[in-house]
Amino acid sequence: MNLIAAAILAPLSTMALILLLRRWPAALALLGATAGLLASIALLTNAFNGLTDALILPGLPNMPLRLVSTPLSALLSTLVATISTLVLVYAVGYMKQDGEKVRFFATMLLFVSAMQTLVLAGDWILLLGAWELIGLSSYLLIGFWYRRPGVSSAATRAFLVTRSADLGLYIAVFILIANAGTSDIAATLHTGGHVAVVAGLLLLVAAMGKSAQTPLHDWLQRAMAGPTPVSALLHSATLVAAGAILLIRTAPMLPPPVLLAIGIVGGVTTVVTGLIALGERDLKRLLAASTSIQYGLMLMAVGAGAPLAALLHLIAHAAIKSSLFLGAGVFQHSRESTGFTDLEGAGRDRPRIFFGFALAALALAGIPPLSGFFSKDAIIAAALAAPHAPVLASFALAGTVLTGAYMARALRILWRGKSAGRPIAGLGWMAAGLAGLVILGAVLGAAFPSIETVLNARLPENTLAQILGLSAALGGLTLGWFIPGQRLLGGLLPWAQRGFAIAGGFDNWIVRPAFAMARACARLERVLNEGVLAVGRLGLSIGRMTRKGDDQGIDGLIYSLVRGTIRLGNNARALQSGLIHREMALTAVGTALILTALLIALLAY
Amino acid sequence: MGIELLLALITGAALFGVGIYGALSQTNLVMIMMGVELILAGAMVNLVAFWRFLHPDIPAGQMFVLIIITVMAIEMAVGFGVAIARFRAKGSVEMEEAAELKG
Amino acid sequence: MSAQMFFIGFFGLAAVWFGIVVFRTFSMVRSALALLFSQTALGAMFLSMQAEFLGVLQIMMMATEMSIMAIFMVMFMMDPGGLGEMDMTHQKRLSLIAGLVSFVGAVAVAVFADWGPAASVVPDAAQQTVDLGLELLGRSMLIFETAGITILTAMIAATAVAIQSVTRSNEHGH
Repeated sequence: MNLIAAAILAPLSTMALILLLRRWPAALALLGATAGLLASIALLTNAFNGLTDALILPGLPNMPLRLVSTPLSALLSTLVATISTLVLVYAVGYMKQDGEKVRFFATMLLFVSAMQTLVLAGDWILLLGAWELIGLSSYLLIGFWYRRPGVSSAATRAFLVTRSADLGLYIAVFILIANAGTSDIAATLHTGGHVAVVAGLLLLVAAMGKSAQTPLHDWLQRAMAGPTPVSALLHSATLVAAGAILLIRTAPMLPPPVLLAIGIVGGVTTVVTGLIALGERDLKRLLAASTSIQYGLMLMAVGAGAPLAALLHLIAHAAIKSSLFLGAGVFQHSRESTGFTDLEGAGRDRPRIFFGFALAALALAGIPPLSGFFSKDAIIAAALAAPHAPVLASFALAGTVLTGAYMARALRILWRGKSAGRPIAGLGWMAAGLAGLVILGAVLGAAFPSIETVLNARLPENTLAQILGLSAALGGLTLGWFIPGQRLLGGLLPWAQRGFAIAGGFDNWIVRPAFAMARACARLERVLNEGVLAVGRLGLSIGRMTRKGDDQGIDGLIYSLVRGTIRLGNNARALQSGLIHREMALTAVGTALILTALLIALLAY
Repeated sequence: MGIELLLALITGAALFGVGIYGALSQTNLVMIMMGVELILAGAMVNLVAFWRFLHPDIPAGQMFVLIIITVMAIEMAVGFGVAIARFRAKGSVEMEEAAELKG
Repeated sequence: MSAQMFFIGFFGLAAVWFGIVVFRTFSMVRSALALLFSQTALGAMFLSMQAEFLGVLQIMMMATEMSIMAIFMVMFMMDPGGLGEMDMTHQKRLSLIAGLVSFVGAVAVAVFADWGPAASVVPDAAQQTVDLGLELLGRSMLIFETAGITILTAMIAATAVAIQSVTRSNEHGH
């Protein structure tokens, strides 16, 4: 069986099995995820040995569907499979007391298979289909607890925002296919000129939507209304990675103006969402803002011309952020809430979980020898080496400082307080999943050199970058630990807490005009309706007039005829009096007339 | 043309006219029947005159008169039967009241 | 000829005069009697026209009929004696005009028509009767028989009309 097909079909068929059997959802899910993981690892091994694979399926005429296994796609596939398996292990424990396990695990497996299709896609059309599917599963999973207030609206909002941004992807794909004449991604990477600029900018729009970049970052924070495994898998490692993956894959094609735009978007996102994270009052929303920052850094790396750095940071961030979310999930179960006021001192309840959480937080901040250090270092080096170094480098350093600050802030709030925990069901599973991801987050740095070789690219290295990065990280950590986030923000606090809404935010810019247009359309509809009714009424009145004319005119004529005949008959009745003498008189007169007539006839002839 | 024939015919005409006057102007059924008798009598006179003065050798003329006499008798019989029935039903034979067949 | 003419004229006048009397008198019995005399005068006219059988027949039959009519008059009429002197006529003018018109018309036809020469040879009475009898049972048999059946029908009809209907319930008193 083709490894590519196995990687995708294993989770997919397990999902179908779960839906059919409706039993043992957790066990079956783990089985399917593990099978997919084995297939992905096999693909990666092949890729490390230099083997590439491709699977071609029939599609549109002249545009078959392609699944390819290049080093890049095999790497991403393995990443997706690993994170999914570990998160599913965690989810077994997390969802132990939830009643709708079948729906949960089935949808998670749907997402896993869709994500695998996306990273393994060699064809724009397949990529588009997978893109849509991961959006759909995200909607289903964010709104998993749809009965709770606010959840369904968060899911709808996420879906609408990403969907609107996907328009960019659609138009970009159409332009690329029309230009290249084929839907093969590898072939379209050779586009150049104005087409590449336009397509690149549109791809950037799509990436902004999916990866929660400013100004489309709000949906991710609201998406935290879903279960924590969902946040860990989708909204830290895989779904939001789709935007960055798109840009990394198409990086060879992007011309300098587009790269500059990407870098600026990433940079602005870094600063804005970092400030938001400092002012956040909810742990999961803080982590969501953190995701936006990290992806901003990745976009900056792409904009600086070093997609490899972005890729490495993506891999490291996936493991780190997932473990952070899993830890947050444990604290959530422990304190039944994710607000910072409820979580004070939650770290002291579960010291071991907190230890894993802290390790992941340090990795994210960029402390060696954890993996985050290497990838952050690569990004800063790339920024320093980029054409627009000052802008990009300052954004990257600011991002590093902010990362350290808010992570330290979270750690402080979790540690400083009184322990007050309760027993949690399924802690074993959750701890196992968390441990796996933390370990990955810690040691992945060692794997980076081999990744570099297999992808035939070099990471930029700069000692200045390493020093600057380390000092920025340490400085940020200190700041965050000792100074409360509110004070750091100062006057920006209220604005930050509103998510940096500009001029009323999306409400004013989009929602209100949309409603106004809807009202205008309703008015137009009313007018048209009246018009149609008026036509109908006109028809009715014509009908009534016709009937009246018929009634009074024609019928009147007929009735007057009838009345005339009746009157004539009545007059003739007078002749028939029933009296014998009158009858005899009539007889006499009649006979006389007849005789006269006969006589005249006789005499005339 | 003999004067006798003329006289007989004039008599017949006169009887006919009187009979018509009587039949049309009387209210009582019996009187109307008398008028009809006179009409038939006038016809009879004419017939006899024609037989006697124009074709005395044809007995069919007398035959005709016999038939008219028969008719007169029949008419009286049935007419009086009707009058009896009417008298029983309504108490009088006045034809002024007999408007049941009014249209 | 003049005797015949005289008798015809006299008896004709008598018949007409008595006919007028029928309708001018108030008494019913007198009307019946006047009609009787009118018919008798007619019979005499027949006799004077040498139709002896017919004349006798007429006088006999009319005598019987008129007497029966007199009886019926007394039965059915309001004022048989005519002492009330009520005018029992209607549409007098119309009837007068009708009578006059018919009289004048008939007279005109009689006067202006050309009847041809009067016959002078008349078979005698016995011969007339024989001829009449032979005629009845010969050529006019059908007419005779039809007349007989008609008379029978009329008798039955008259009897049926005049019989008082007797219903069974009346008979048994339920």
